[in-house]
Amino acid sequence: MSTQVHGRGLSGPTRSRRRMPATVAVGAALVLSAATATPLDPAPRQAAAADGAKVLTVAVAQSVDSLSPFLASRLLSTSVHRLMYEYLTNYDPKDSRAIPGLATKWESSPDKLTWAYTIRSNSKWSDGQQATAEDAAWTFNKMMTDEGAATANGSFVSNFEKVTAPSPTELVVRLKKPQATMTALDVPIVPKHVWEKVRDFSKFNNDKSFPVVGNGPFVLTGYKADSYVRLKANKSFWRGSPKFDELVFRYYKDQDAAVAALRKGEVSFVAGSPSLTPAQASALKNADDIKVNDAPGRRFYALATNPGARARNGQKFGDGDPSLLDERVRHALFMAVDRETIIDKVFQGHAVQGEGYIPPRFSPYFWKPSAGQELAYDPAKAAQLLDQAGYRTNSAGKRLGKDGKPISYRVLCHATDPNDKAVGQYLQEWWSKLGIGVTLDCLDNVSDPWLAGTYDLAFDGWSVNPDPDFVLSIHTCAALPATPKDVGATDNFICDKRYDELYARQLAEYDPVKRAAIVKQAESRLYDLGYMNVMAYPNAVEAYRTDQIKSIQTMPSAAGNIYGQDGYWSWWSAVPADSGGSSDSSSSTGVVIGGIVAAVVLVGAGVFFVMRRRAGADDRE
Amino acid sequence: MTTTTPPGPRALAWRRRGHSAARFWKQYRTRRAGVLGLAVLVLFGLIALTAPLTVGSDVQSVTEAPGQPLESPSGQFPLGTDRFGRGLLGLLIWGARVSLLVGLLAAVLSVSIGAVIGITAGHFRGRYATVMMRVTDWFLVMPTLVLAIALATVMSRSLGTIILAIGVTTWPTTARLVRAQTLAVESRPYIERAKALGGGHWHIMSRHVLPNVMPLVLAQTTLVISSAILAEATLAFLGLGDPTVISWGGLLQDAREAGAVSSGDWWYLVPPGIAIAVVALAFTLCGRAVEAVLNPRLGVAR
Repeated sequence: MSTQVHGRGLSGPTRSRRRMPATVAVGAALVLSAATATPLDPAPRQAAAADGAKVLTVAVAQSVDSLSPFLASRLLSTSVHRLMYEYLTNYDPKDSRAIPGLATKWESSPDKLTWAYTIRSNSKWSDGQQATAEDAAWTFNKMMTDEGAATANGSFVSNFEKVTAPSPTELVVRLKKPQATMTALDVPIVPKHVWEKVRDFSKFNNDKSFPVVGNGPFVLTGYKADSYVRLKANKSFWRGSPKFDELVFRYYKDQDAAVAALRKGEVSFVAGSPSLTPAQASALKNADDIKVNDAPGRRFYALATNPGARARNGQKFGDGDPSLLDERVRHALFMAVDRETIIDKVFQGHAVQGEGYIPPRFSPYFWKPSAGQELAYDPAKAAQLLDQAGYRTNSAGKRLGKDGKPISYRVLCHATDPNDKAVGQYLQEWWSKLGIGVTLDCLDNVSDPWLAGTYDLAFDGWSVNPDPDFVLSIHTCAALPATPKDVGATDNFICDKRYDELYARQLAEYDPVKRAAIVKQAESRLYDLGYMNVMAYPNAVEAYRTDQIKSIQTMPSAAGNIYGQDGYWSWWSAVPADSGGSSDSSSSTGVVIGGIVAAVVLVGAGVFFVMRRRAGADDRE
Repeated sequence: MTTTTPPGPRALAWRRRGHSAARFWKQYRTRRAGVLGLAVLVLFGLIALTAPLTVGSDVQSVTEAPGQPLESPSGQFPLGTDRFGRGLLGLLIWGARVSLLVGLLAAVLSVSIGAVIGITAGHFRGRYATVMMRVTDWFLVMPTLVLAIALATVMSRSLGTIILAIGVTTWPTTARLVRAQTLAVESRPYIERAKALGGGHWHIMSRHVLPNVMPLVLAQTTLVISSAILAEATLAFLGLGDPTVISWGGLLQDAREAGAVSSGDWWYLVPPGIAIAVVALAFTLCGRAVEAVLNPRLGVAR
């Protein structure tokens, strides 16, 4: 569960983020009216169901990849697992330090290779059985021995030598090498007595029989693919029962439809993943009973450069432009990117200007380039660098590659992400001033060219965990695919010896301050390489109805996000409002205007079709 | 000797064509809807052609956008601004170029394919005609939009792709119409005479059949343009167009992605929507008028 890839990683969860309704009718005119159909839905559902149960409905724009904790990597799925199962440790909602979860205490031996966890005795599975150290040991052992069970979180246990449970409250992990992430093992502990019946872990999706046995604050009671995930409060949860009785994640393909549903009170919360657009946020800020939460995000938004894709066996593949292998070219490209404009115009202030690899929210690991090191916006210097590198302009102002042809880069972008397309248009204009052409390759599914290395540059972004180990690990040589045919954990085929050394050193360092210093060195190295150029840290912009949710925990508690936290704090802490939900907000201007537009356009389309039909009748005579 | 020499056959043919064009225009003028459609089209055509002079290509530059994102209409920006702060009136005018160009080219492509297949299938009959007509039927029953979406998805995103996707999916109706007309023409006695005098396939098809199906093809083109414009807007709206090219459908898509629908920024949605509807309607009106003039049987009925 370390990854929680959000946007652009290889496991590509955004693939289905906003698939268009392919069945929509004939003209754009009609499509437009289809898009406004949801706001016109005349029957708003209330937050409280008929039997008086308090239901919290969350609109999400992502579908579930798998409900098996051994397979899931998408943000929604891992968030659901946080709610269903306890992990050994949790993160404090205030400052993200490790706090007790299923384990109450932990300590490492002086040789740093043995970790002993004390398992709590007051956590019960939802079928009444006691959760013990044996369950935890079984979970880890399964991941160590069964390749199918190691799909999602195998990286955590690859360094484990032996895991045992001497008693129901004692768990002992023996390591091969010191590992600094032992208090941040984001692995859901599953009940042994249920899961030992599973035959094939690579195929079992945990979505057939409900309720699913768990010991988290909520119990999974229903799931329908691309539709909803339903959870019931676990009244006997050891930290205390959640205040809402039921939690439903409902899937909306279209963020605008989700916003309309929020306005109508049909959903209580719209997840900020992807963030609400600036226009949606500012319109919702003025709406009654709706609060917009605009918090510094966990993500970075970067421009990745293809460093010449290769496999661990040394075989090269893909067709990245050879000019990008020159560090000066990579630096020049990024120096022509005006990050300030991106923040102001594309994110309209709902993001922070990019610096190092890890977002400022994780302050212990946040690193910023020094003034001398920074690739600040300077198009003149960028042109100079390109000249130095031997890429000169011809008489038509086009920069020529070593093969004498004008340079033109393919930029891989997510067709579903408006920000990619917007930033892409800026890149096109900025780089054309350098004499470099840009083709925006916007695809619904970027995984194929990405894995094949058939791109020059690409929009990239990951959600970062409080422990930075995972996002650092994806740039090591060890993460490269074994052969060109395999899929590696690598993000964009970066392989650098010095970076790898720093990565190994931080993983073996148990002192937090010293480790942070090494992590920062690694970030500095990554920055200088110029393969990952962080443009922005987008905010998490999300909204909820204050007449349905009275209060909800953000993480970190000061200016934090709600959806996609490292922990179950938001949904566990949410307090229902007394009123039980509004039933009417029909006078919202958006709906009215949407209706008028739809009507105008429908009339036009109607006339058109009547004419067409007559034409058809004549043709037939 | 000095008497005027009788005009040559070429000049005669030109004179005849001039007469029939005048006759056509005289009849067309009597159809008010057709004249209205034509006026609208001329207006839009002028706007599109003069766009480089009136608004200039700078209008689509994002780095030199003059306003703030999503400003509502004002004196400086009569139709407000888009998500980059570009004036929407300028974008709308600039977008007319792409929308009209794609509509025209796609319609020409579609009708050309349809005409070639229709004429050859009508002329050659036999196994060739059977195969071609089954292919036509297959395309006819396939939902056009779905097929176009599939095509646009697998090919790279560019204007050419969109034109091709629309062109190769909308030709079957034309093919059927043209084939029927070809069959009717070829059953006339003079075709038999031409054959007897040694006229080959190419001669018959290009000299006798084509001129006779041309009016039908023209009317059909005008009608197909409007559906091609709608199809282009639909594909662009579904995000299958080139995001860096401004078109009316692309503007709608941008508006949707920016969340303009739920936040009530009508100036981003309404103008391109209306422009699409008006131009599609104008082409339909023209097409109907042309069809009615060229086909006397329709003319009498109304």
